Amino acid sequence: MIQSGVAGLVAGGAYAMLAVVVVLMFRMVRVLNFSLAAIGAFGTFTMSAVYAHDQSYLVATLAGVGAAAGVAALLGAVMALWFADARIETRSTVAIAMLIGLLMIGYRVFGDQPRNVPSLFGSHGIKISGVVVTHDAIAIVVATILVAVGLSVFLGRTRVGLRLRALSERPQTAELLGVPARWLAIAVWAAAGAITALGTQMVAPTRANAFADLSLLIIPAFAAAAIGLFRSFYLALAGGIGIGILEGIATNYSSIAPYQSVVPLVVVVLMLMWSQRQEVWDVAR
Amino acid sequence: MSRASVLRSPREALLGLGPVVAVGLPLVLAGTLLSPYGKFLGTTALVLAIVGLSLGVVTGRTGMISLCQMGFAGLGAWVMLWFATHASGAPFLLAVLVSGLAMLPVSLLVSLPALRLRGVNLAVITLAFALTVQIVLSVNDFPGNSDGVTVTRPSWLETDGSFLWACAGIFVVIAVGLAVLDRTRLGASWRAVRHSERAAAALGRSVARVKLSSFALSAFIAGIAGALLAAQLGSVEIETFVPLTSLTAFAIAIMVAAQYPEGALLAGALGVFLPELFQSWNIPQDYTNLLFAVGAIVGLKGGLGGAEAIRDGLRRLIGANERPLLLDAPDGGAIAPAAAVAADRHDDPRGPAPAKDGTAALEIRGLSVTYGSVKALDDVSLRVEPGTVTALIGPNGAGKSTLVDTVTGFIRGYSGEILVDGHAIDGLLAHQRVRAGVRRSFQQDRTIPDLTVEQYLRLALGSHRGSARMSAAELQELLDFFDCPPQHRRLSGVDVASRRLVEAAAAVAARPSVVLLDEPAAGLPAAESERLAASIAQIPARFGPAVLLIEHDMELVVAAATQAVVLDFGKVIASGSPATVLSDSVVVSAYLGDEVSV
Repeated sequence: MIQSGVAGLVAGGAYAMLAVVVVLMFRMVRVLNFSLAAIGAFGTFTMSAVYAHDQSYLVATLAGVGAAAGVAALLGAVMALWFADARIETRSTVAIAMLIGLLMIGYRVFGDQPRNVPSLFGSHGIKISGVVVTHDAIAIVVATILVAVGLSVFLGRTRVGLRLRALSERPQTAELLGVPARWLAIAVWAAAGAITALGTQMVAPTRANAFADLSLLIIPAFAAAAIGLFRSFYLALAGGIGIGILEGIATNYSSIAPYQSVVPLVVVVLMLMWSQRQEVWDVAR
Repeated sequence: MSRASVLRSPREALLGLGPVVAVGLPLVLAGTLLSPYGKFLGTTALVLAIVGLSLGVVTGRTGMISLCQMGFAGLGAWVMLWFATHASGAPFLLAVLVSGLAMLPVSLLVSLPALRLRGVNLAVITLAFALTVQIVLSVNDFPGNSDGVTVTRPSWLETDGSFLWACAGIFVVIAVGLAVLDRTRLGASWRAVRHSERAAAALGRSVARVKLSSFALSAFIAGIAGALLAAQLGSVEIETFVPLTSLTAFAIAIMVAAQYPEGALLAGALGVFLPELFQSWNIPQDYTNLLFAVGAIVGLKGGLGGAEAIRDGLRRLIGANERPLLLDAPDGGAIAPAAAVAADRHDDPRGPAPAKDGTAALEIRGLSVTYGSVKALDDVSLRVEPGTVTALIGPNGAGKSTLVDTVTGFIRGYSGEILVDGHAIDGLLAHQRVRAGVRRSFQQDRTIPDLTVEQYLRLALGSHRGSARMSAAELQELLDFFDCPPQHRRLSGVDVASRRLVEAAAAVAARPSVVLLDEPAAGLPAAESERLAASIAQIPARFGPAVLLIEHDMELVVAAATQAVVLDFGKVIASGSPATVLSDSVVVSAYLGDEVSV
C-alpha cells in the first residue's frame, strides 16, 4: 500500500504544481483559470513534437514552456483588455470558454492520440526501506515545493510582488499609482502558463496523455487549491500531493481502482462542507 | 392592475412571444415538413433546447456556473434505460418524469457544499461531478446496453413526427412553467441572487435555499432532456455526456442567453444544425466549438447574450425601451421639522403600536467589532425607541456602516448584544434577522435591475411575520408616499436616486420593527432630499417601523430625526436631540478637527 501511495507522488506533484498556479492566478489576476491545464498541454505537446525532431530534452522543454507562456500571454491579453473590471465569476466564465476553444484547437493541431513524452530520468529511482521512489517523483515534488516557496517569498518580500498584490486588490488604484496593470497581469498569465507546462510535461509520461486528458488535470488541481480556499500556496501544495497519494492508494483495491479519478470530487466536497460552517459575505458593502 | 400596465400588456406580449415564435416555428416546421432526417435533427435540437432551459434557470436567472448539465442528462438517460430494462411496462411520460425527479437528490448532494460559499465554488464542484458521471457511467455502462435493450416509445409516439411534436410540447410546458415561476417570489429571488447575494439576504431570502432551488430545478429539467434523448435514440453512448459537452452547452447558453425561451431554442438549433451545416461545407464539425467559445466571450464582453440583445433591439424598435425616469419636479413647499410631524402621527389610523412597556424597537448593548488591531466599533450601546426616527451620524470611517452590517447579520464574530423588540437576534443569519424584524437599505444601490418596481416590492414583502399580503392600492400608496417610479417599470430603467427611494420603500413595505436606512439621500438633489426627510419623519406614524437613519446631510437629519447618536472612531461620543448634539463641541471637533474646538 505504501508503494502504491508513493506511486501516486508524480501525479500528486503535478496536481500540486498546477494547484499552486491556480492559487497564484486566483489571487493575483482574479480568475479561476479553467483553461490552465489546457495551456500546459499545449506546451507539453509542443515539447513532444520538438523532441521528436531530434532535439535535446532541454531544448524541447524550453520550446514547450515558451509555447505555453505565449498562449497564456495571448489569453491574458484578452482578459486584460476586455474583462479588466469584470467580476471574478465573469472572468472565470471567460476562462471556461477559453478551455473549450483550446480543446478544439489542441485537437486540430495535435490530434486526439496520446503522445510519446520523454521522462527526465526514465524509470530509475532510489529504494528507501523497500519502497521505490522514482527520480521523476522526487524531481516534481522538489520542483513544486520550490515553486510554492518561491512564489510566496516573491509576493511577500519583493517590490514587484508587492505591486502585484496591490494590482490584484485595487486594480484601478494601482493603475493610478503608475503600476502598469495590464502588462503585469499579462506577465502573470505567461508565468503561470510556463510553470504549468513544466508540471504537465513531468506527469505526461506516466498517464493517459491525450490533449483532452491533460486538460482535465485542472479538476484535481482545483480540488487541491480548494483545500486552501484558493488562497494558500502551501495548503494547495499539500492538497495536491495528498490527492495524488490517495489516488495511488485507490489503485490498490480492485473494486475502487476504476473510480480513482473521483477522489478530487470527494476531497472538494468534504473541504467545502467543512469551510462553509459559517455564512460568508464578500468584502464590498 | 393599473391602467398603465393594461395599456402596456400587448406590447409586452409582443415582446415576450414574438421572438419565441420567430425562432421556434421554423424549427418545428422544418422538422415536420422535411425528411425523416430533418425530423430527427429537429427533435435533437428541441431536446438540447430543454437542456438550454435548464441552464437558463441556473446560470441565466441565478447567475451560478454549472458545468454538469449534460451529466444530469446522462443520468436521466440512465434512469430511462433502467425503466426500459427493468420496468418496461411503466407509462412513458411517468418514466420521463421520474428520470427528471431522480436528479433532485443527486443535485442536492452535489450542490449542498457549495451553496453558502460565494462565487465560483459551484463551478469547481460541478466540473468534478461531470467527470465523475463520465467515470461511473463508463465503468458501469447504461442499463441494457450490453444486452441490446432499447427504450421503446408508446404507439402514439412511434413516428418521428409525433415524437418531435411531443418534445415541442414538453419544451413549451417547461418554458411556460418557468415563465409562471418568474412572476413568483421564487423567480424574483433567483434574479436577486444573480445580482447581489447581499441584497437577496437583506430582502429576507435565504441565499443558500434560493440557489439550491435553482440548481435542483435545473437538474430536474436536464434529467428530463436526457430521458427524451434516450427515448429518441433508443440507446445512448457515454460520449454524449462527457464534461466537454457540458462545458459546450454552458458556453452556448451564455452566448444565446438561455434564460429566454427563444434563447434556449437558439441554443438547441445551434448545437444541432451548425455542425450539420459545417459538414455540408466540408468543414470539420468540431470547429463549431471554437465558434461557441468565441461567441460566449463576445456575449460576455457585450454583457448581453444573443436573445437578450435581440429583445433589447426589439424594445428599442417598438419604443418600449425604458429610458431612465427622472424625478418629478418637487412641490417646493416648506417642510415641517420632525417634531411637528411627530405631533400629527396619531391622526393616522394605522399609527404605530403603542410602545410596549419600554421595550426598544432596536437595542444595541456593548457592541464591539475588531478587524485585526483596528476597533471598528468599540462598546457601542444605543436604543431606537418605537415610533421614532433616530439618526446615526459621524465623520467618514466612524463605523456607521459597520454598525448597520453588524446589526443586519453581514458581519459575524462581534461581541455584545443586539435585540429587536426585546428579543436577542445574535444567533440569527442575515435573512433570519430580516424575518425577526430588521430591514435595511444599502449605501450603494442594490436594487435588482431585472425586476419591476412592483416585483421588487413584492419580493421584499416576502416573509416578515406572515405579512405577505399587500393590496394593489396599498402598494400604490406606499410608492406614492416615497415618490417612487410607476410600479410596472423595470428597475434597470430607473435612475439611481429613484432606485434608492424604491429600496427605502421596500424596506418599509413589510412593516418590520426597525428600518436601517444607510444614506438614503445620497445622490438626491437638495429639494428631493428635503422631501425625503419629510417622508422619513412620517415612516413610524404611517407604516409602523422605527427608523435608524445613517446620514451625512445634517439638514435632513434635523428635519427627519427626533434623536441623534454620534459615532467617532467606533465610539458613541454624544447622543440626544439633533439640535443639541450638533452644537456639542466634541461633535463639532470630531467633524471639523481639533483646531476649531473650544
